[in-house]
Amino acid sequence: MKTSRFVLFGALVALALAGGLALFASSSPDGLESVMLEGCQTGADGEISGGECALQQAGEHEIGGPLADYGISFIDSETLGGSLAGIVGVLLVLALATGLFWLLARGRRAGAGSGEA
Amino acid sequence: MSELALHIPNGIIGIPTSLVFGLIAAIVVGVCVVAARRGLDERLVPLAGLATAFIFAAQMLNFPVAAGVSGHLLGGALAAALLGPWLGVLCVTVVIGVQALLFADGGVTALGMNVVNMAVISTFVAYGVIALALKILGRTRTGLTAAVFAASVAGVVAASAGFVLEFAIGGEAPQSLGEVAGAILSVHVLIGVGEGLITAVAVTAVALTRPDLVYALRGSRLLGTSLEKETV
Repeated sequence: MKTSRFVLFGALVALALAGGLALFASSSPDGLESVMLEGCQTGADGEISGGECALQQAGEHEIGGPLADYGISFIDSETLGGSLAGIVGVLLVLALATGLFWLLARGRRAGAGSGEA
Repeated sequence: MSELALHIPNGIIGIPTSLVFGLIAAIVVGVCVVAARRGLDERLVPLAGLATAFIFAAQMLNFPVAAGVSGHLLGGALAAALLGPWLGVLCVTVVIGVQALLFADGGVTALGMNVVNMAVISTFVAYGVIALALKILGRTRTGLTAAVFAASVAGVVAASAGFVLEFAIGGEAPQSLGEVAGAILSVHVLIGVGEGLITAVAVTAVALTRPDLVYALRGSRLLGTSLEKETV
């Protein structure tokens, strides 16, 4: 398989995972959160309703932002917002990482070029 | 709906500890930038970008590991197997940075600790296990699948041990440190098995289509020459 086709196919898989399959992901607290919740009771919405646990010391996120918690703040539908947030995230990470690694590789070539000169 | 993924939020670990780990993360990531640059062929750039985007997507897929408890991929083993330890650390660091700054997943204050645990510890430990296991099992595809699975479990458990260390230094909980450590490590063995299954499938799929793109299979061969042969 050609590299360009491989990258395109891989990107489509990542978009499908983040924009589609992620909607069916478990919404239970993850390993870290569940241990930090030990000692507390939680309500149906997952919020702490009583008891004493390490997670109570967690503050509000410092930034928050329109994509906070993998949703889009101005879209009411959790399904649509979650799906779009996943797609936006994948495209953003793809562009950012490719850009950063390209700069890194380019710096290397420039460095090698000046070394030969 | 609660968060899809949860890294260390701000407030759980004290500020001094967070800052020390922030400094450690900055130093190690800096070393990785220098080391990764040496082996970074321009043709590898889109693949490294793709691996990073894939890890971001896969981290959203929380799978159940016990009643009411989920886990998600960290991605260190995948990055290590496909891109090697240096570039691998950078991929996971980009993911964790984007999550903390744009998706409110993981505190900004806790960014250093999240990078040390999930990007640095998990990738380096996974790479060490892959290298060792491939020496024992041989550089075959079956050997690779088994090596990647073992590396995933080891990488995830080691990352969670990093959290236990940070919590021991700067955290407070009603239960004893031993109880926290036991609970964290045991649940991450289960998460590691999930990570192992996903990573083994993903790396094996890449090895079947484009074995030249699997860093762990490259050995001492130069990537440039093998890429040219395969893509013609």
